[in-house]
Amino acid sequence: MNAWILIPVFLPILFGACLLAVSAAARYKNKPEPDAAALKKLHLAAGAVMSVSAALALLAAWSGDWAVTMFHLMENIPIYFRVDDVGRLFVTVISVIWLLVCVYSFVYMRHEGEEARFFGFYLIVYGVLVALTFAGNLVTMYLFYELMTLTSMPLVLHNGSREAIMAALKYLFYSMCGAYFGLFGIFFLYQYCDTLTFSAGGTLNAALAQGHEGILLLAVFGMLIGFGVKAGMLPLHAWLPTAHPVAPSPASAVLSGIIVKCGVLAIVRVVFFVVGPEFIRGTWVQTAWMTLTLMTVFMGSMLAFREPVFKKRLAYSTVSQASYILFGLSTLSATAFTGAMLHVVFHAVIKCTLFLTAGVFIFECGKTRVEELNGIGKRMPGVLWCYTFAALALVGIPPTSGFISKWYLAQGALEGKIGVFGWLGPAVLLVSALLTAGYLLPVTMKGFFPGKDAPEADVTVKEPADGMLLPLVILAVLAVLFGVFPNPLVKFAGQIASSVL
Amino acid sequence: MSPVVFAVVILLPILAGALIPLLPYKNRLQMIFYVSAVVIVTSALSLWILFRQPQEALVLFRFTDNLSISFRVDGLGTVFAGLVSVLWPLATLYSFEYMEHEKHEEIFFMFYTMSFGITLGIAYAEDIVTMYCFYEMLTLATLPLILHTLTREAVLAGRSYLYYSLGGAAFAFIGMVFILSYGDSPDFVLGGVLNHARLGDHANRLLIVYVLCFCGFSVKAAMFPFSAWLPQAGVAPTPVTALLHAVAVVKAGAFAVMRVTYYSFGTGLLRGTWAQTAVMSLTIITIVYGCSRALKETHLKRRLAWSTVSNLSYILFGVTIMTPAGLVGALCHMVFHAVMKICAFFCAGAVICKTGRQYIYELDGFGRKMPAVFVIFTVSGMALMGVPGLCGFISKWHLVEAAVSSRNPLAYVGVAALLVSALLTAIYMLTISVRAFFPGRNFDYAAIADVKDPGWKMVLPLALFAAAMLLCGICSHPLITAFETIVRSV
Repeated sequence: MNAWILIPVFLPILFGACLLAVSAAARYKNKPEPDAAALKKLHLAAGAVMSVSAALALLAAWSGDWAVTMFHLMENIPIYFRVDDVGRLFVTVISVIWLLVCVYSFVYMRHEGEEARFFGFYLIVYGVLVALTFAGNLVTMYLFYELMTLTSMPLVLHNGSREAIMAALKYLFYSMCGAYFGLFGIFFLYQYCDTLTFSAGGTLNAALAQGHEGILLLAVFGMLIGFGVKAGMLPLHAWLPTAHPVAPSPASAVLSGIIVKCGVLAIVRVVFFVVGPEFIRGTWVQTAWMTLTLMTVFMGSMLAFREPVFKKRLAYSTVSQASYILFGLSTLSATAFTGAMLHVVFHAVIKCTLFLTAGVFIFECGKTRVEELNGIGKRMPGVLWCYTFAALALVGIPPTSGFISKWYLAQGALEGKIGVFGWLGPAVLLVSALLTAGYLLPVTMKGFFPGKDAPEADVTVKEPADGMLLPLVILAVLAVLFGVFPNPLVKFAGQIASSVL
Repeated sequence: MSPVVFAVVILLPILAGALIPLLPYKNRLQMIFYVSAVVIVTSALSLWILFRQPQEALVLFRFTDNLSISFRVDGLGTVFAGLVSVLWPLATLYSFEYMEHEKHEEIFFMFYTMSFGITLGIAYAEDIVTMYCFYEMLTLATLPLILHTLTREAVLAGRSYLYYSLGGAAFAFIGMVFILSYGDSPDFVLGGVLNHARLGDHANRLLIVYVLCFCGFSVKAAMFPFSAWLPQAGVAPTPVTALLHAVAVVKAGAFAVMRVTYYSFGTGLLRGTWAQTAVMSLTIITIVYGCSRALKETHLKRRLAWSTVSNLSYILFGVTIMTPAGLVGALCHMVFHAVMKICAFFCAGAVICKTGRQYIYELDGFGRKMPAVFVIFTVSGMALMGVPGLCGFISKWHLVEAAVSSRNPLAYVGVAALLVSALLTAIYMLTISVRAFFPGRNFDYAAIADVKDPGWKMVLPLALFAAAMLLCGICSHPLITAFETIVRSV
């Protein structure tokens, strides 16, 4: 029995629930806010649980193939976990980033308050995400997908302002709407697939599906739209630029870096592991999907370009970048799939770095708008350098990581037999890259070179504490290093691609 | 086992209930003791019958040669009777705390207990005549419960309940007469009793009658356009709204529809006809309509009542699929919705009873003050919207699977309607939870300092329901197998 493998799922969930219960009980009894010593204990405990869980999750992922059936939700439908290469890739990214952001939060959350609640939900979401990546069939995945929405919602409304609460509700309802689109598809797939268990290449039963292609394609399209909500794909992307910026910065970082990727994961599972890419190749679904992703890529960049609020700009950038990944998937070519998987990793690292930088600016000097950041590089050179490396990587300047993934994405699109999209796709990616440079790099330039007539920056502002700087530096270094030494990762992504296509 | 036991289980609560206001009690505790004794004995007896499944029928008396009041237990009746017998004692326990501050408690418990017997009568009815009689009696016995507070609002609500129900029963009566004249017997037989020789070329006439009859019985199940009475009836004390208007009365309507569809007219006659299309369209409309009205409503109990309207039509939708799988889904949702909605109503009742707040915008910050109630309310909300792992998901899954496998394009529309309704459910339930738990940064908790969790008599049923939702969500297999056995021969 491999049940121990589920410890990284349940340990953080249980510990997080305990944290919530303890903090709720304390508030119920009107106890005073916890003092510094109590907070230190909280950080120590949360950090310990987080590291142990992350270590166990990585161990579970890389200790060979295994499968665990927990129980049967219904006849034929078990809650079933299995690790495969896609799961390995995702769980590794999630664990590393979650741990680093956790360290960052110990410092950052001091100014947000309600730390027990934050870390409670933060750990619960981690457990849910690990379960999501290990999910072995569609219903298990759906279960944890919904739980992810429900448990990550409190991270968004953390500061309790009216704006945050409305944003959280928007997040919740868009996600639910998407989940139900997904569920619609699951109902139909259950009828027409041999099994809902993931298997590379799909399980659709061609004989059963014969004559029902119309409704099935509609169902698949519904699932793309539905799970695309989390990935900020048109037409249901509007929640993302509202919800990501209002969350505390560490939460924005993981929402943008990780949770968005779970939408991608769900789509990968549906298209490549249940429906099968061959079923939608050349149909209107593929065309519509490619169109939507390219529109999202362009529109996201455009909106980011015009946006003056720093975190909101980054959120729009996420909308655009996540659709790079989806476009790669939608071409249904192995090279582009490799590029998409690479971009999942790279974008997670890069976008986390960017949001954490934004967090530093808010934490240290309360600056939220781009034009307020003029001259910030004089006071925080380290932070701004991290930002700059990440920004360069996102634009895709060689030898940073973004270049590698975009190279594969564009090459895949050119190779694939997708007609006009073969050249339109790379063109849009290129334009979007220019826009990305246009909205990210001015921050660096104005930050280091504010111009002669700019007012002298506030001298009290200085580099943040090590707890914040260290994760930032590690992530920025990773963003560059992946570009310099991409081969192991490319090989791994290619291996996944060749197994499904 | 002697069939006389049917007479006992049905007449005991009716007769003993009628005595409640007449007995000389020294104090309230004695009355509580008496009421609980009657309810528990009835419920235990009923569960014992269900456990033993006696085969003989009891003929209580005959109107004419072939019209009689008779009782028997079969699969469908088992489900409904079991549901009612389990929920009634819990709801009674809850009402002891709730009714403490209301006037005319004896009268309330009298009708409350009598309704138990009458509902069991519907569940155990062997034929359509018996069911019809008890169905009418249920209307009359539950009317005083709606009128209980005797405010102008309550009187109006009672009046519209009466008109709607009696009107519906009149249509149902037409159906009954046709069943009696075109059928072999008035008894309920899985697959229908219509005599095809006698039917001849009158099939279309029967379809019209079926639609009338369906609509007639659906009045109690609050199908659009006959749903207005249910939210109005929310003026009744919460134990009534919770047990009768989320479970017993409204599900008696759904149960009657199941009986006439699968056991009297028979799905063979109906499947694929315009009649099926007509009734299915109505249920689909109601599913979305109920949710939309719930979304607009700011009164807590009325919002839940509109949600009931929508959910009852899930059940009716399952019935109108007219396949065995559809009936399984309908039964499943009948049971699970009962648990979810009674739980949500009890939470609402706890709030109303302890704080007097009735509107949703007054609930800011309650999550911190009434943690038990609002955690359970959130669980029931999540169950209603169909989060996997809770029971709502299971019943929706079976309903939808039935719809998809019936290959009926209208049923696909129904699937979409179910999902739209799930989204609306998420909105109208979770906004309440979010409001309660996250009232905003500057919320002044001193303003609601008097608010606190209710006593164990209220919390215990709530906790049991929450546990049941989780248990049924995770381990539904035995229940589903049982339902499948019931409908196997349709």
